[in-house]
Amino acid sequence: MDCADCLERLYAYLDRELAPAEVTEVRAHLDDCGGCEDSFVLEQRFLARVRDCCQEDVAPTELRSRIVARLRMESDTPL
Amino acid sequence: MATDPFETEALSFLDALYRTALRMTRSEAEAEDLVQETYIRAFRFRHQFTPGTNLKAWLFRILTNTFINQYRRKAARPDETELDDVEESILYRHMRDVSPGSASLDPETELIDNTLSSEVTDALEALPEKFRTTLLLDVEGFSYKEIAEVLDIPIGTVMSRLHRGRKFLQKRLYDVARDRGIVAARAMPRPAD
Repeated sequence: MDCADCLERLYAYLDRELAPAEVTEVRAHLDDCGGCEDSFVLEQRFLARVRDCCQEDVAPTELRSRIVARLRMESDTPL
Repeated sequence: MATDPFETEALSFLDALYRTALRMTRSEAEAEDLVQETYIRAFRFRHQFTPGTNLKAWLFRILTNTFINQYRRKAARPDETELDDVEESILYRHMRDVSPGSASLDPETELIDNTLSSEVTDALEALPEKFRTTLLLDVEGFSYKEIAEVLDIPIGTVMSRLHRGRKFLQKRLYDVARDRGIVAARAMPRPAD
């Protein structure tokens, strides 16, 4: 596997979407190639940061109560 | 009143649905309406859900369909913007131009770690609708196959939207960091005009 092949699989690897055989090939290349490894580490950090930032928001408590009340109303209404 | 297991499980995804709706609609009020509508529909069509299958994916499918239908109705011209003009790997390429093959990750990690949550979410919200939705589902932990099923698109399309969307985000965050002066001049030279 060369650098181009490896970088092409970067996201699929980080997203855990590669087949086991390809994971082995990518890991073998990363062990030998500092440049590709740097890219993988950075992208991994970037993806983690995006994920963390997006998961900070929680639903307002009033929304939960409103939905529960609404669902109770639905279940009381005959179809 | 006896607790309804369907309702209990469905409500366990409320935060995930809400924050996704918030990024989709870019408005707290609209996000609340969208999530409430999602639960009402889920409840009305619960007989179509097969117990033991993926309830989270089923709810997100209702959320995205509801959003897309309402959004397309509201928008005179749907947002079909492509991201073809976004340069590949702009964030990291600039850094590599300076120190190719450098083992040091300091400037890059500094940039990523100093990016504010609001900058990331603003950049996400700036994405065209279909890229944004795909990235949001990824952020919520869905696999490529699940995203493909939720959005009713091929897996290859999921992969290309994720790729282009992430590169677009990186470019936005790079620009923001440069404007805020986070990016050290030595690590991130301004591209030649």
